[in-house]
Amino acid sequence: MSVGSTFSMSSAAMLPGPDAPSSDSPDGTEVANGLANVRRIVLMSAPVVGVIAFFLIWQFGVKIFDIQKFVLPRPSDILSSINGDKSYYVRNARTTLWEAFCGFAIAFVLAMIGATVMAHSRFIERASMPLVVLVQVTPIIAYAPAIVIWQGFGLKSILVMTSLVCFVPFLINGVAGMRSVDPNLIELARSVDASRREVFVRLRLPSALPNLFSAARIAVGLALIGAVLGEIYAGSVSGLGYSIKLAQARPTLRMQLWGSIYVLAFIGAAATILISTVERFVLHWHSSQRR
Amino acid sequence: MSESHAVAVTDAPLVCVSGVSKTFRQRGRTVHALREVDLQIGRGEFVSLLGPSGCGKSTLLRIIGGLHQASTGTVSVNGLDADAARAAKQYGLVPQSPALVPWRTVAQNVRFLTGLHRGGASHPVMTDAEIDGLLEAVGLAGFTSAYPHELSGGMQQRASLVRAFALGAPILLMDEPFAALDEITRADMRYLLLDLWSRIGTTVVFVTHSVTEAAILSDRVVVMAARPGRIAAERTIDLPRPRNPAMEDAPEFHEVVRFLRSDLREHHG
Repeated sequence: MSVGSTFSMSSAAMLPGPDAPSSDSPDGTEVANGLANVRRIVLMSAPVVGVIAFFLIWQFGVKIFDIQKFVLPRPSDILSSINGDKSYYVRNARTTLWEAFCGFAIAFVLAMIGATVMAHSRFIERASMPLVVLVQVTPIIAYAPAIVIWQGFGLKSILVMTSLVCFVPFLINGVAGMRSVDPNLIELARSVDASRREVFVRLRLPSALPNLFSAARIAVGLALIGAVLGEIYAGSVSGLGYSIKLAQARPTLRMQLWGSIYVLAFIGAAATILISTVERFVLHWHSSQRR
Repeated sequence: MSESHAVAVTDAPLVCVSGVSKTFRQRGRTVHALREVDLQIGRGEFVSLLGPSGCGKSTLLRIIGGLHQASTGTVSVNGLDADAARAAKQYGLVPQSPALVPWRTVAQNVRFLTGLHRGGASHPVMTDAEIDGLLEAVGLAGFTSAYPHELSGGMQQRASLVRAFALGAPILLMDEPFAALDEITRADMRYLLLDLWSRIGTTVVFVTHSVTEAAILSDRVVVMAARPGRIAAERTIDLPRPRNPAMEDAPEFHEVVRFLRSDLREHHG
């Protein structure tokens, strides 16, 4: 459930949000409305249908092709193994979630400070862009060991990795959003001699929200990557990444590997849905939220 | 619609533009957006800047409003230069696009600029009740809690007008505010604007490329020509006020339109 690719500069919705077509029927008869409603419900349930279909194919594919359990267990086996060891997964999920959340939050705060400075100065923006791109294109996994050497084993290294991978999407989208204000609105503010601070607080910050929500959806996946990677490299003794690292080395813990993957996927999906729900509520005025 | 325009146009002009030129460099060549413009606008006067695109009418409007700097020449408003007048909150701007704040309701949008307006103003902004009265007058009373994307283009532009009037500023600068509207809506908006203007009695500088629009609205039309941007002619419109749609069929009105058209043609190309 990680969106590990790149960040998006656009604010277009990229979530499992169903884009229902307009249900306005030209004649407006009840039958037509009913049909349109059915079509909308079908479209809205499409994401759920897709997920269920995937797991059904997995479940029965394993059985039909007689794949051995240690190569690929069935979803039902994975779920029952999680169920059989709930407290273990809750404990480790809590650790990973906390790391990912802190990294996400640190990245957000630092990126907003950076974006504010960059939105005010073209020079600083241009001067720092190459560095930002370098951070973005260098694989985190490559410099993870260097971070551990620098920061030592433990939470600090994990948080540095997590916030580093989340930082760039927040920064780039923050700057783009702050610059996306309707120039007519800027001119209107100038016509009443509004201060730069007022323009920033009342126009630039709210204008950046759609981009920041896009960034947040990307950063959810990245934060989990950072946290898991950190646990693997920085000598953790708990967390889902640590659990995966242990399981990889011991065939007897094979189900634990899959259980941890499932829990991570669940956390990522839940966080993404949470963000999209908040987004739908906060950005009701924005074109990306119109159906 | 009542329109009893009774603001006396006093002798001392409110806006005094003298010798204003604006040049800029484009691909190594000097372009004269405006050359040697002189213009005086009286208190309470409705003046239109009429001309083809590229004649510098919007540039002139922005120089008057202190939003652009003149290359040479001076602008004085109530004895202040344009920047000082802007700092003293003398202007209300109506841009071509409604430019409402998308995350604010209509009620919040029409108060948005008055909210940015704190301090430095030499005149009071309108009270909440007065602003509500304006919303009522333009037919937006039932839409105060609507968001801009829920409104038609005409309704958005009406909100934009109310926002400018709500500032209580002595000078309103309007940059082709109706150009993006359909013809029928545009015709309504003209009389709506006249109605608001007659209630509040402020000075309006109105940029347009529509001869009819200039004739319907204005006390005086300043005809501009391009390359270089300059004032080609000025005509006082003697049609009686309040003006109404029926007058557009009268011979006097056609006379005015004919004069303005010939002014434009004479200096075109």
